[in-house]
Amino acid sequence: MNTNSDVKIYEYDAVIVGAGLAGLAAAKELTAAGKKTAVITKLHPLRSHSGAAQGGINAALGKDDSTELHEFDTVKGSDYLADQDAVELMCTKAPETIRWAERMGTVFSRDEEGDIAIRPFGGQSKPRACYAKDRTGLALLQAIYEQAFREGIEVFDEWYAGDMIYKDGKVSGVVAYDIRNSKVAVFNAKVTMFATGGNGRLYRFNSNAHANTGDSLSIVARHGLPLEDMEFVQFHPSGLGGSGILISEAARGEGGRLYNSLGERFMEKYAPNAMELASRDVVSRAIMEEVRQGRGVGKDGQSVNIDLTHLDPQIILTRLPELRELAIAFQGQDMLKEPIHISATAHYSMGGIPTNINCQVRKSPTELVEGFYAAGECACVSVHGANRLGANSVLEALLFGRHAGENMIKALDEGASLRKATAADADTFVEELTRIKTSNGTERVPELRTELQNGMTADAGVFRTKESLDRQLKLINSLLKRFKNIRIDDKSKTFNTDLQEAIELGHMLESAKFVVEGALVREESRGGHYREDFPTRDDKKFLKHTYAYMDKDYNVSIEWGDVVLGKFEPKERTY
Amino acid sequence: MSNTRKVTIKAFRFNAETDYLPYYKHYEMEVGKDELILDLLNRIKWEHDGSFSYRRSCRHGICGACAIKVNGKATLACKQNAMELLDLFDNELVFEPSSKKRVVKDMIIDKKDFWDKHAAVQPYVVADIDPHPKHETKQSIEEFNKFLDSDLCIQCGACHYSCPSLEANPDYLGPAALNAAYRFTIDPRDHAGRERLELTAEPGIGVWDCVKCFECAEACPKDINPIEKITKLHNMQFEQDVAVPNVATRHAEGFVRSIKKHGFLDEADIVVYSEGYLGMYKHLKTAMKMMKAGKIHWNDGLPWVDNVPKSKNLDEIQKLIKISQTHKL
Repeated sequence: MNTNSDVKIYEYDAVIVGAGLAGLAAAKELTAAGKKTAVITKLHPLRSHSGAAQGGINAALGKDDSTELHEFDTVKGSDYLADQDAVELMCTKAPETIRWAERMGTVFSRDEEGDIAIRPFGGQSKPRACYAKDRTGLALLQAIYEQAFREGIEVFDEWYAGDMIYKDGKVSGVVAYDIRNSKVAVFNAKVTMFATGGNGRLYRFNSNAHANTGDSLSIVARHGLPLEDMEFVQFHPSGLGGSGILISEAARGEGGRLYNSLGERFMEKYAPNAMELASRDVVSRAIMEEVRQGRGVGKDGQSVNIDLTHLDPQIILTRLPELRELAIAFQGQDMLKEPIHISATAHYSMGGIPTNINCQVRKSPTELVEGFYAAGECACVSVHGANRLGANSVLEALLFGRHAGENMIKALDEGASLRKATAADADTFVEELTRIKTSNGTERVPELRTELQNGMTADAGVFRTKESLDRQLKLINSLLKRFKNIRIDDKSKTFNTDLQEAIELGHMLESAKFVVEGALVREESRGGHYREDFPTRDDKKFLKHTYAYMDKDYNVSIEWGDVVLGKFEPKERTY
Repeated sequence: MSNTRKVTIKAFRFNAETDYLPYYKHYEMEVGKDELILDLLNRIKWEHDGSFSYRRSCRHGICGACAIKVNGKATLACKQNAMELLDLFDNELVFEPSSKKRVVKDMIIDKKDFWDKHAAVQPYVVADIDPHPKHETKQSIEEFNKFLDSDLCIQCGACHYSCPSLEANPDYLGPAALNAAYRFTIDPRDHAGRERLELTAEPGIGVWDCVKCFECAEACPKDINPIEKITKLHNMQFEQDVAVPNVATRHAEGFVRSIKKHGFLDEADIVVYSEGYLGMYKHLKTAMKMMKAGKIHWNDGLPWVDNVPKSKNLDEIQKLIKISQTHKL
């Protein structure tokens, strides 16, 4: 490559990729501590998917609630795969974190006393989801962005980070390009953090933003580093029937009931105690089982009904106004007057880049990478284990994002040094860009992507078998080959979103492979991962974290890591 | 009966890197009843031409990335059902960027002025933030309700690029930034309300440049109604003694003065009152036109002539003013 002279090199104390709750919380703390920090995002920070969270953020603020109960619910919800030390840290610090967010300006809904209002959510023994109407994520994202902005954070918005600099067990920054003009730059840093969110776009039927292509997962994997528990994908019970767009769990939290085509309140069969407020994996499977048995409603009988018409209309209008609008805009159904068609939708990745409790990225179950941190959905500190409870994800992102920032400050104060980068560090990414831009094949990116997404929903979705997973693995392998033979239409340097979609598809194919390979070796059913050929949990063999590594030819190998147990012994899980 | 319709889309195309002038390209497709404008943007890109460019992310009206204009109407693409617009516009849609003069590529515009204006109003709670609080700030439901959904703004820019005042005066903060000014000033946790009120009271920049056309309210995809917040800022400036006598505030006062006196608006008096006799001179041309149209009489401007008709129930009007007026002008 002779383009290296064009590559600019920036030097920072800290570089953060991703500007949602996790990335911004870290950036705010770092900047406040006087560390020179850059935040890189392919969107504008306020477009980050954290803002799409609707229903709430958990903290044991209720009078008869306790952090220990929050811990128990989280561990039980995780099907005992969560690391209990991380869960303890999260639940203990949750009240302070939420109050910190409140002090920063989050416009939380209030109760009669003037305190933050709380509502019930699935899988929780007490009401503990603090909320801002049904736009909790937006309220939080705004507040953290506002205060980070006030602190003077330096944001590189509409920059696409495509590679990291990793040598000799240490990360020293990332390589990115400015989407406005395609100029490549190296962001050389003493400490680096990934906070890039999830990969829900792998599925045809999903609740996620277009941006959620899981780029950082495969960036990490391409350097031979492991990904953890990637087979655990959360399917949210209530996606709008046609689009998968989310109807928050708050709809059930406020009293929404599920009915099949026969008018049966079918959760009686699956979770007689918790009913609609069982954990998400349980409710999603119940919905899909009803659909499979021909008791679905709506187009092709692919949905069930959620009914809120028995609620006081004021509850809907004051606490769920956005949800009502969404159902009207997307499928012409007004929840004040009629039931809404919903179906399970791919929503959240429990797995991700493995980290220890201080958000430091792991090189293996027992070793750490130097100078490298991750938090939020892209990371797996493992507070969610095999299934995440509603309203724990925004909590994790904000809390561990801040925690990562604090640990990065500590590392810098203890003398983390800058390994000087050179323009050659950009070579791999520049080659990738050039290859995609000049590739003159016959395959088209949107078609390959659609095939991947259809396959994932059909064969690596709510129900899985060896047969379906083998089929999907074969498909991914063939798509990886066909991907080498693509052609994109846009050859320009300005806002080349065609190029970006192609790079993203490359990442999606690779992280999909991790999901499927993990699901194949995990011959049990636990949380969000359900194998019809192995329908029970097998603690003897699989009370373990999956660590998966990929080689240059996309072959994936698996290693097992220990789960941190603690005060809660694994028990059978019923709701 | 078919559930789809044959639709022609004319899309604005321009790439600042290669094109000297913008042009419109036509795309034809069958559109179903559940499709959104964003689906059509995606289909142009995925089925017709991969180089077609637009911003988008969340797909459900919460991130604000995908604001464009459809047949001149400000539209958040991911929240707008296509059929509704097809009914309105007879199966022919025109896709254009929110602001053609700011276009970089196709639907993508340079939003620098939008963000600069936003930054100018201190768009954050100004307070010392306890990093480890033991309790949240108390806030009554009444205080919470005062936000009036101003915190729901998703920075899509639809109002900003629909505002004719901003088009005419690039220094004007515009509806989005003023909405943000309201949102933080009303926040009981914030301490910079006075500074924001002073900034937004400045003629040429602040609320007085709003011409009350309601375009912003019309454009907002989240029904936030920015002009309501602009009006609140007006009131707050008087209530908190930030308003100083100038042509703008005297103009506002002039309305009340005239209604109090006559029950009708005295067009000439309001000019004299807000700009003085010298100021009146520069409006002579307009005055001539108004005279021709019969809106004013030649001697209206003379202080010793009172020829404005009186409202029949003037005493009741005066009582109403007395009850509703919270602040002495």
